[in-house]
Amino acid sequence: MSTDLLPESLRRSISADLEPVRPLPPAWRRTLQAAAVAAVGLALVIFIFKLSPRADMEQLPMWLSWGCTALQLGVGVLLLGMALREAIPGQGVPLGAVALGLGTAVLMQVLVGIVTWMHSHGMPLVDGHGMSAGITCTTHDVAMALPALAVTLWLVFRALPLRPSIAGLLGGAGAAVTADALTHVLCPMSDLRHVLVWHTGALIGLMFIGWLAGKLWERKRYENA
Amino acid sequence: MGADRKAEEERLIAFMIGYQKGKMDDFEGLFAALKQPLLRYLWTFVRNATVAEDLLQETFLQIHRARQTYTPPRPVRPWIYAITRHVALMHLRSGRRRKEVLANDQLPEVPVPPEMEKLADQATLHKMLAELPRPAQEVLMLHHLLGLSFLEVGQVLGIAAGTAKVRAHRAMKALRTRLEEQGGEA
Repeated sequence: MSTDLLPESLRRSISADLEPVRPLPPAWRRTLQAAAVAAVGLALVIFIFKLSPRADMEQLPMWLSWGCTALQLGVGVLLLGMALREAIPGQGVPLGAVALGLGTAVLMQVLVGIVTWMHSHGMPLVDGHGMSAGITCTTHDVAMALPALAVTLWLVFRALPLRPSIAGLLGGAGAAVTADALTHVLCPMSDLRHVLVWHTGALIGLMFIGWLAGKLWERKRYENA
Repeated sequence: MGADRKAEEERLIAFMIGYQKGKMDDFEGLFAALKQPLLRYLWTFVRNATVAEDLLQETFLQIHRARQTYTPPRPVRPWIYAITRHVALMHLRSGRRRKEVLANDQLPEVPVPPEMEKLADQATLHKMLAELPRPAQEVLMLHHLLGLSFLEVGQVLGIAAGTAKVRAHRAMKALRTRLEEQGGEA
Protein backbone atom coordinates (compact mmCIF):
# COMPACT_ATOMS: atom_id res chain seq x y z
CA MET A 1 0.00 0.00 0.00
CA SER A 2 1.32 3.46 -0.84
CA THR A 3 1.66 4.67 2.74
CA ASP A 4 4.49 6.98 1.66
CA LEU A 5 1.99 9.14 -0.25
CA LEU A 6 -0.03 9.84 2.88
CA PRO A 7 1.18 12.88 4.84
CA GLU A 8 2.10 11.90 8.40
CA SER A 9 -0.13 14.54 10.04
CA LEU A 10 -3.16 13.29 8.08
CA ARG A 11 -2.30 9.68 8.88
CA ARG A 12 -2.15 10.49 12.59
CA SER A 13 -5.47 12.41 12.54
CA ILE A 14 -7.23 9.57 10.75
CA SER A 15 -5.77 6.74 12.86
CA ALA A 16 -6.69 8.58 16.06
CA ASP A 17 -10.36 8.34 15.12
CA LEU A 18 -10.82 5.30 12.92
CA GLU A 19 -13.87 3.77 14.56
CA PRO A 20 -16.03 1.63 12.29
CA VAL A 21 -19.13 3.52 11.14
CA ARG A 22 -22.45 2.29 9.84
CA PRO A 23 -23.48 3.88 6.53
CA LEU A 24 -26.57 6.07 6.74
CA PRO A 25 -29.70 4.35 5.46
CA PRO A 26 -30.70 5.32 1.91
CA ALA A 27 -32.74 8.52 1.44
CA TRP A 28 -36.01 6.61 0.93
CA ARG A 29 -35.66 4.88 4.30
CA ARG A 30 -34.86 8.14 6.08
CA THR A 31 -37.86 9.68 4.28
CA LEU A 32 -40.10 6.96 5.71
CA GLN A 33 -38.76 7.79 9.20
CA ALA A 34 -39.56 11.48 8.67
CA ALA A 35 -43.01 10.60 7.26
CA ALA A 36 -43.78 8.43 10.29
CA VAL A 37 -42.89 11.29 12.65
CA ALA A 38 -44.97 13.67 10.49
CA ALA A 39 -47.97 11.32 10.76
CA VAL A 40 -47.65 11.08 14.55
CA GLY A 41 -47.26 14.89 14.76
CA LEU A 42 -50.39 15.46 12.65
CA ALA A 43 -52.41 13.02 14.75
CA LEU A 44 -51.21 14.55 18.01
CA VAL A 45 -52.12 18.09 16.96
CA ILE A 46 -55.58 17.00 15.80
CA PHE A 47 -56.06 15.25 19.16
CA ILE A 48 -54.65 18.07 21.33
CA PHE A 49 -56.57 20.88 19.57
CA LYS A 50 -59.68 18.68 19.19
CA LEU A 51 -59.91 19.47 15.47
CA SER A 52 -62.64 18.00 13.29
CA PRO A 53 -63.42 18.12 9.55
CA ARG A 54 -65.07 21.30 8.25
CA ALA A 55 -68.86 21.44 8.47
CA ASP A 56 -69.35 21.74 4.69
CA MET A 57 -67.28 18.66 3.79
CA GLU A 58 -70.27 17.07 2.04
CA GLN A 59 -70.45 19.97 -0.40
CA LEU A 60 -66.90 19.29 -1.55
CA PRO A 61 -66.32 16.54 -4.13
CA MET A 62 -64.19 13.63 -2.93
CA TRP A 63 -61.33 14.49 -5.31
CA LEU A 64 -61.13 17.96 -3.76
CA SER A 65 -61.36 16.97 -0.11
CA TRP A 66 -59.60 13.65 0.56
CA GLY A 67 -58.20 13.41 -2.97
CA CYS A 68 -56.24 16.65 -2.58
CA THR A 69 -55.25 15.62 0.94
CA ALA A 70 -53.69 12.43 -0.45
CA LEU A 71 -52.02 14.37 -3.26
CA GLN A 72 -50.60 16.98 -0.89
CA LEU A 73 -49.37 14.30 1.52
CA GLY A 74 -47.59 12.63 -1.41
CA VAL A 75 -45.99 15.88 -2.55
CA GLY A 76 -45.05 16.75 1.04
CA VAL A 77 -43.30 13.41 1.61
CA LEU A 78 -41.58 13.78 -1.78
CA LEU A 79 -40.23 17.18 -0.70
CA LEU A 80 -39.02 15.73 2.60
CA GLY A 81 -37.25 13.03 0.59
CA MET A 82 -35.63 15.67 -1.63
CA ALA A 83 -34.35 17.47 1.49
CA LEU A 84 -32.85 14.24 2.81
CA ARG A 85 -31.30 13.45 -0.54
CA GLU A 86 -29.81 16.94 -0.72
CA ALA A 87 -28.04 16.22 2.59
CA ILE A 88 -25.78 13.58 1.02
CA PRO A 89 -22.70 14.76 -0.91
CA GLY A 90 -22.95 13.88 -4.59
CA GLN A 91 -26.72 13.42 -4.46
CA GLY A 92 -27.63 17.10 -4.55
CA VAL A 93 -30.98 17.92 -6.14
CA PRO A 94 -30.63 19.97 -9.36
CA LEU A 95 -31.76 23.57 -8.86
CA GLY A 96 -34.46 23.16 -11.52
CA ALA A 97 -35.98 20.29 -9.54
CA VAL A 98 -35.76 22.36 -6.34
CA ALA A 99 -37.61 25.25 -8.02
CA LEU A 100 -40.19 22.85 -9.46
CA GLY A 101 -40.77 21.24 -6.06
CA LEU A 102 -41.12 24.53 -4.21
CA GLY A 103 -43.31 26.02 -6.96
CA THR A 104 -45.55 22.96 -6.89
CA ALA A 105 -45.89 23.21 -3.11
CA VAL A 106 -47.04 26.84 -3.18
CA LEU A 107 -49.12 26.58 -6.35
CA MET A 108 -50.93 23.46 -5.18
CA GLN A 109 -51.83 25.09 -1.88
CA VAL A 110 -53.15 28.22 -3.62
CA LEU A 111 -55.08 26.23 -6.25
CA VAL A 112 -56.67 23.94 -3.65
CA GLY A 113 -57.71 27.06 -1.74
CA ILE A 114 -59.25 28.71 -4.81
CA VAL A 115 -61.06 25.58 -6.02
CA THR A 116 -62.41 24.91 -2.51
CA TRP A 117 -63.74 28.47 -2.35
CA MET A 118 -65.42 27.98 -5.76
CA HIS A 119 -67.23 24.88 -4.43
CA SER A 120 -68.15 26.16 -1.00
CA HIS A 121 -67.62 29.51 0.70
CA GLY A 122 -67.55 27.78 4.08
CA MET A 123 -67.82 29.78 7.30
CA PRO A 124 -67.95 33.51 6.53
CA LEU A 125 -65.11 35.72 7.65
CA VAL A 126 -66.56 37.91 10.38
CA ASP A 127 -65.35 41.52 10.37
CA GLY A 128 -62.93 42.15 13.22
CA HIS A 129 -62.26 38.44 13.80
CA GLY A 130 -60.09 37.81 10.76
CA MET A 131 -56.89 38.22 12.76
CA SER A 132 -57.83 35.85 15.59
CA ALA A 133 -59.11 33.21 13.15
CA GLY A 134 -55.90 33.59 11.14
CA ILE A 135 -53.67 33.23 14.19
CA THR A 136 -55.55 30.10 15.26
CA CYS A 137 -55.19 28.51 11.83
CA THR A 138 -51.50 29.47 11.56
CA THR A 139 -50.89 27.96 15.00
CA HIS A 140 -52.48 24.69 13.84
CA ASP A 141 -50.49 24.75 10.59
CA VAL A 142 -47.18 25.37 12.36
CA ALA A 143 -47.89 22.88 15.16
CA MET A 144 -48.71 20.18 12.60
CA ALA A 145 -45.61 20.93 10.52
CA LEU A 146 -43.05 21.33 13.30
CA PRO A 147 -42.51 17.62 14.18
CA ALA A 148 -41.88 16.75 10.54
CA LEU A 149 -39.65 19.78 10.06
CA ALA A 150 -37.67 19.08 13.24
CA VAL A 151 -37.01 15.43 12.41
CA THR A 152 -36.15 16.25 8.79
CA LEU A 153 -33.67 18.94 9.82
CA TRP A 154 -32.17 16.58 12.39
CA LEU A 155 -31.70 13.89 9.72
CA VAL A 156 -30.35 16.47 7.27
CA PHE A 157 -27.78 17.93 9.68
CA ARG A 158 -26.67 14.45 10.81
CA ALA A 159 -25.47 13.89 7.23
CA LEU A 160 -23.33 16.42 5.34
CA PRO A 161 -25.51 18.87 3.43
CA LEU A 162 -23.29 20.90 1.12
CA ARG A 163 -26.15 23.38 0.51
CA PRO A 164 -27.86 23.28 3.92
CA SER A 165 -30.14 26.23 3.21
CA ILE A 166 -31.58 24.46 0.16
CA ALA A 167 -32.04 21.26 2.19
CA GLY A 168 -33.76 23.33 4.90
CA LEU A 169 -35.97 25.08 2.36
CA LEU A 170 -37.10 21.74 0.92
CA GLY A 171 -37.66 20.33 4.40
CA GLY A 172 -39.71 23.39 5.39
CA ALA A 173 -41.81 23.11 2.25
CA GLY A 174 -42.34 19.36 2.74
CA ALA A 175 -43.42 19.76 6.36
CA ALA A 176 -45.73 22.68 5.47
CA VAL A 177 -47.40 20.80 2.60
CA THR A 178 -48.04 17.70 4.74
CA ALA A 179 -49.63 19.97 7.37
CA ASP A 180 -51.72 21.82 4.77
CA ALA A 181 -52.91 18.47 3.40
CA LEU A 182 -54.99 18.18 6.57
CA THR A 183 -55.72 21.82 7.40
CA HIS A 184 -57.55 22.30 4.10
CA VAL A 185 -60.15 19.78 5.27
CA LEU A 186 -60.11 21.01 8.88
CA CYS A 187 -60.21 24.80 8.50
CA PRO A 188 -63.90 25.82 8.22
CA MET A 189 -63.16 28.95 6.14
CA SER A 190 -62.74 29.20 2.38
CA ASP A 191 -62.47 32.99 2.14
CA LEU A 192 -59.46 33.60 -0.07
CA ARG A 193 -58.23 36.49 2.11
CA HIS A 194 -57.97 34.05 5.01
CA VAL A 195 -56.49 31.20 2.96
CA LEU A 196 -53.93 33.25 1.05
CA VAL A 197 -52.78 35.37 3.97
CA TRP A 198 -52.73 32.87 6.83
CA HIS A 199 -52.40 29.43 5.27
CA THR A 200 -50.15 30.37 2.36
CA GLY A 201 -48.33 32.67 4.78
CA ALA A 202 -47.72 29.71 7.12
CA LEU A 203 -46.40 27.66 4.20
CA ILE A 204 -43.97 30.38 3.17
CA GLY A 205 -43.03 31.04 6.80
CA LEU A 206 -42.16 27.36 7.35
CA MET A 207 -40.07 27.35 4.18
CA PHE A 208 -38.26 30.39 5.53
CA ILE A 209 -37.68 28.69 8.92
CA GLY A 210 -36.12 25.69 7.14
CA TRP A 211 -33.95 27.95 4.99
CA LEU A 212 -32.86 29.97 8.03
CA ALA A 213 -32.02 26.82 10.03
CA GLY A 214 -29.81 25.73 7.12
CA LYS A 215 -28.10 29.12 6.97
CA LEU A 216 -27.44 29.14 10.73
CA TRP A 217 -26.12 25.57 10.64
CA GLU A 218 -23.84 26.47 7.73
CA ARG A 219 -22.53 29.52 9.57
CA LYS A 220 -21.83 27.46 12.69
CA ARG A 221 -20.01 24.83 10.70
CA TYR A 222 -18.10 27.53 8.82
CA GLU A 223 -16.99 29.15 12.09
CA ASN A 224 -15.88 25.78 13.48
CA ALA A 225 -13.92 24.92 10.34
CA MET B 1 -18.65 2.64 -18.69
CA GLY B 2 -15.41 1.02 -19.91
CA ALA B 3 -14.06 -2.13 -18.26
CA ASP B 4 -11.10 -0.24 -16.73
CA ARG B 5 -13.37 2.46 -15.41
CA LYS B 6 -15.72 -0.13 -13.92
CA ALA B 7 -12.85 -2.02 -12.30
CA GLU B 8 -11.50 1.26 -10.89
CA GLU B 9 -14.93 2.18 -9.50
CA GLU B 10 -15.28 -1.27 -7.90
CA ARG B 11 -11.84 -0.86 -6.33
CA LEU B 12 -12.87 2.51 -4.87
CA ILE B 13 -16.11 1.02 -3.52
CA ALA B 14 -14.12 -1.81 -1.88
CA PHE B 15 -11.77 0.77 -0.31
CA MET B 16 -14.73 2.76 1.03
CA ILE B 17 -16.40 -0.32 2.51
CA GLY B 18 -13.16 -1.31 4.24
CA TYR B 19 -12.58 2.27 5.40
CA GLN B 20 -16.07 2.43 6.91
CA LYS B 21 -15.21 -0.77 8.78
CA GLY B 22 -12.20 1.02 10.27
CA LYS B 23 -9.37 -0.34 8.12
CA MET B 24 -6.46 2.09 7.73
CA ASP B 25 -5.07 0.22 4.70
CA ASP B 26 -8.27 0.96 2.81
CA PHE B 27 -8.09 4.65 3.68
CA GLU B 28 -4.53 4.68 2.40
CA GLY B 29 -5.62 2.94 -0.79
CA LEU B 30 -8.36 5.50 -1.30
CA PHE B 31 -5.92 8.34 -0.75
CA ALA B 32 -3.38 6.86 -3.17
CA ALA B 33 -6.03 6.29 -5.84
CA LEU B 34 -7.53 9.76 -5.63
CA LYS B 35 -4.66 12.04 -4.63
CA GLN B 36 -3.64 13.16 -8.11
CA PRO B 37 -7.11 13.67 -9.63
CA LEU B 38 -8.28 15.54 -6.54
CA LEU B 39 -5.21 17.78 -6.60
CA ARG B 40 -5.91 18.55 -10.23
CA TYR B 41 -9.53 19.38 -9.43
CA LEU B 42 -8.56 21.55 -6.46
CA TRP B 43 -6.11 23.40 -8.64
CA THR B 44 -9.08 24.55 -10.77
CA PHE B 45 -10.22 26.56 -7.77
CA VAL B 46 -7.00 27.81 -6.19
CA ARG B 47 -4.39 27.78 -8.98
CA ASN B 48 -1.70 27.13 -6.46
CA ALA B 49 -0.09 23.73 -5.95
CA THR B 50 0.81 24.35 -2.28
CA VAL B 51 -2.68 25.52 -1.36
CA ALA B 52 -4.15 22.60 -3.31
CA GLU B 53 -1.97 20.21 -1.22
CA ASP B 54 -3.27 21.82 1.99
CA LEU B 55 -6.86 21.60 0.76
CA LEU B 56 -6.33 17.97 -0.19
CA GLN B 57 -5.60 17.19 3.46
CA GLU B 58 -8.63 19.22 4.54
CA THR B 59 -10.71 17.32 1.98
CA PHE B 60 -9.66 13.96 3.39
CA LEU B 61 -10.42 15.16 6.91
CA GLN B 62 -13.92 16.15 5.73
CA ILE B 63 -14.28 12.79 4.00
CA HIS B 64 -13.30 11.15 7.27
CA ARG B 65 -15.87 13.12 9.28
CA ALA B 66 -18.59 12.36 6.73
CA ARG B 67 -17.62 8.76 5.90
CA GLN B 68 -20.93 7.40 7.21
CA THR B 69 -22.79 9.41 4.52
CA TYR B 70 -21.39 7.21 1.75
CA THR B 71 -23.82 4.40 0.95
CA PRO B 72 -22.27 1.36 -0.76
CA PRO B 73 -22.42 0.37 -3.58
CA ARG B 74 -23.10 3.86 -4.98
CA PRO B 75 -20.29 5.33 -7.10
CA VAL B 76 -17.60 6.80 -4.84
CA ARG B 77 -16.31 9.54 -7.09
CA PRO B 78 -19.38 11.85 -7.19
CA TRP B 79 -19.49 11.67 -3.37
CA ILE B 80 -15.80 12.49 -2.99
CA TYR B 81 -15.68 15.18 -5.69
CA ALA B 82 -18.74 16.91 -4.18
CA ILE B 83 -16.97 17.07 -0.79
CA THR B 84 -13.77 18.28 -2.48
CA ARG B 85 -15.67 21.01 -4.29
CA HIS B 86 -17.28 22.10 -1.06
CA VAL B 87 -13.89 22.32 0.70
CA ALA B 88 -12.52 24.42 -2.17
CA LEU B 89 -15.53 26.76 -2.20
CA MET B 90 -15.33 27.18 1.60
CA HIS B 91 -11.67 28.08 1.17
CA LEU B 92 -12.48 30.67 -1.50
CA ARG B 93 -15.22 32.13 0.68
CA SER B 94 -12.89 32.39 3.64
CA GLY B 95 -10.68 34.84 1.75
CA ARG B 96 -7.61 32.87 2.73
CA ARG B 97 -6.79 32.29 -0.88
CA ARG B 98 -3.51 33.64 -2.11
CA LYS B 99 -3.52 35.53 -5.35
CA GLU B 100 -0.39 34.17 -6.96
CA VAL B 101 -0.70 31.78 -9.84
CA LEU B 102 2.05 29.28 -10.33
CA ALA B 103 3.64 28.38 -13.60
CA ASN B 104 2.26 25.45 -15.55
CA ASP B 105 5.18 23.17 -14.70
CA GLN B 106 4.06 23.31 -11.08
CA LEU B 107 0.66 21.88 -11.87
CA PRO B 108 -0.04 18.34 -10.74
CA GLU B 109 0.24 15.88 -13.60
CA VAL B 110 -2.92 14.35 -14.99
CA PRO B 111 -3.01 12.45 -18.27
CA VAL B 112 -4.88 14.44 -20.92
CA PRO B 113 -7.38 12.31 -22.88
CA PRO B 114 -6.90 12.06 -26.68
CA GLU B 115 -9.92 14.21 -27.59
CA MET B 116 -8.32 17.15 -25.79
CA GLU B 117 -4.70 16.29 -26.58
CA LYS B 118 -5.30 16.72 -30.31
CA LEU B 119 -6.38 20.32 -29.76
CA ALA B 120 -2.97 21.55 -28.61
CA ASP B 121 0.06 20.63 -26.56
CA GLN B 122 -0.42 20.10 -22.82
CA ALA B 123 1.12 23.42 -21.75
CA THR B 124 -1.11 25.42 -24.11
CA LEU B 125 -4.15 23.41 -23.02
CA HIS B 126 -3.44 24.14 -19.36
CA LYS B 127 -3.00 27.85 -20.11
CA MET B 128 -6.20 28.05 -22.16
CA LEU B 129 -8.15 26.07 -19.60
CA ALA B 130 -6.98 28.43 -16.88
CA GLU B 131 -8.36 31.38 -18.86
CA LEU B 132 -11.89 29.94 -19.10
CA PRO B 133 -14.52 30.95 -16.52
CA ARG B 134 -14.49 28.60 -13.52
CA PRO B 135 -17.82 26.80 -14.20
CA ALA B 136 -16.58 25.96 -17.70
CA GLN B 137 -13.18 24.84 -16.42
CA GLU B 138 -14.81 22.73 -13.76
CA VAL B 139 -17.07 20.81 -16.10
CA LEU B 140 -14.26 20.24 -18.62
CA MET B 141 -11.96 19.11 -15.84
CA LEU B 142 -14.50 16.69 -14.36
CA HIS B 143 -15.67 15.18 -17.64
CA HIS B 144 -12.76 15.37 -20.07
CA LEU B 145 -9.78 15.24 -17.74
CA LEU B 146 -11.00 13.24 -14.76
CA GLY B 147 -13.35 10.98 -16.72
CA LEU B 148 -16.61 11.45 -14.83
CA SER B 149 -19.81 10.78 -16.77
CA PHE B 150 -22.24 13.69 -17.27
CA LEU B 151 -24.54 12.09 -14.71
CA GLU B 152 -21.68 12.08 -12.18
CA VAL B 153 -20.66 15.64 -13.11
CA GLY B 154 -24.26 16.70 -12.46
CA GLN B 155 -24.21 14.95 -9.07
CA VAL B 156 -21.00 16.74 -8.09
CA LEU B 157 -22.21 20.17 -9.20
CA GLY B 158 -25.84 19.76 -8.13
CA ILE B 159 -27.15 20.22 -11.68
CA ALA B 160 -29.01 17.96 -14.12
CA ALA B 161 -26.93 15.65 -16.33
CA GLY B 162 -28.28 17.45 -19.42
CA THR B 163 -27.17 20.81 -18.04
CA ALA B 164 -23.70 19.40 -17.40
CA LYS B 165 -23.57 18.16 -20.99
CA VAL B 166 -24.61 21.53 -22.41
CA ARG B 167 -22.12 23.30 -20.15
CA ALA B 168 -19.31 20.97 -21.26
CA HIS B 169 -20.20 21.43 -24.93
CA ARG B 170 -20.14 25.22 -24.60
CA ALA B 171 -16.89 25.12 -22.64
CA MET B 172 -15.25 22.91 -25.27
CA LYS B 173 -16.45 25.27 -27.98
CA ALA B 174 -15.01 28.24 -26.10
CA LEU B 175 -11.72 26.39 -25.66
CA ARG B 176 -11.55 25.55 -29.37
CA THR B 177 -12.28 29.19 -30.30
CA ARG B 178 -9.52 30.42 -28.01
CA LEU B 179 -7.07 27.89 -29.44
CA GLU B 180 -7.98 28.92 -32.99
CA GLU B 181 -7.56 32.59 -32.13
CA GLN B 182 -4.18 31.82 -30.62
CA GLY B 183 -3.23 29.80 -33.71
CA GLY B 184 -4.22 32.75 -35.89
CA GLU B 185 -2.14 35.17 -33.86
CA ALA B 186 0.97 32.91 -33.92
